[in-house]
Amino acid sequence: MSGIETVRVIVDAEKQAAKMIDDAMNEAAAIRKRIDSLVQQQRQQMLAEAKKQADDITARAGAEGRVEAEQFEKEAKEALQSLVERASARKDAAVEKLLTILTQVE
Amino acid sequence: MAETDKFTEDILKTAREKAESIIRDAQTETQHASDEAKISITREAEAIVRNAHADADAVKRRQISEARHRTKLREQQEKDKIVEEVLGQVRKRTSELAADEARYIPMLTHLIESGVKELREKTAVIHVNKADLERMSSLTQRVGKSLGSVRVEWAKEPIQAMGGAIVSNVDGTIRIDNTLDQKFEALQPKLLIGARASLFSEMNPTRDPFE
Repeated sequence: MSGIETVRVIVDAEKQAAKMIDDAMNEAAAIRKRIDSLVQQQRQQMLAEAKKQADDITARAGAEGRVEAEQFEKEAKEALQSLVERASARKDAAVEKLLTILTQVE
Repeated sequence: MAETDKFTEDILKTAREKAESIIRDAQTETQHASDEAKISITREAEAIVRNAHADADAVKRRQISEARHRTKLREQQEKDKIVEEVLGQVRKRTSELAADEARYIPMLTHLIESGVKELREKTAVIHVNKADLERMSSLTQRVGKSLGSVRVEWAKEPIQAMGGAIVSNVDGTIRIDNTLDQKFEALQPKLLIGARASLFSEMNPTRDPFE
């Protein structure tokens, strides 16, 4: 092999080596880029799931609250009805008692 | 030749190792970033769910609290209605008292006499309503027995009242209001409390709420 050929072989090898490193750097950049996109996608997916779960929790609580409130009001209505009936039965006695207070001679 | 080959092989080997290291570093770095991102996203998602639980509790509590409030308001309105009915009935019965002379005349006499005593004047002017003015002659006989030297005059103009009397001095600058209307107004807070206790007492309905 002549001196010129030897130099050419070495230059080719260095070119090939430079390309290898260049390719590796491009691949590394692609890996970083892929992971950014993957993380972003994963984030959106997980947060969307969490948001849906949150909406379900709130909706369920709202429905439970409505049921409890309705039940409470139903019971309270019955209790009030009974209170009104009891009070109505005591009205005449109360009138007499108040009248006595009002007309009593001190 | 062999030396050149070895030299180029070394160049390529070094480059290969360097390339592998670059990719490995990128993979390690991205794996690390991915793990960190996952932890952070998980925390974020957990916070959303945790907040939802807190919101849910608040929503539930608010609905029940609003129901309680509505119920309380309705109960209060019903109670007020009944108390108003009772007080209205008491007012009506008070205005009808005058028809029951056996009960009313001693009371009217007492109201007039206590007014005169409170006035502490030599002459007292008695103001009564139209119906009582018509009973003036029988009232005059009853009133005055316990008044000593106080001179009693009857105002000719009737007052607007359910019953009772206003006792004034001659020039009308001092007035003792002993009408049933005034008594009703003055006793109203007590009557209200009494009516509520009498109507709505749960503890012991037979207990006298005025005592």
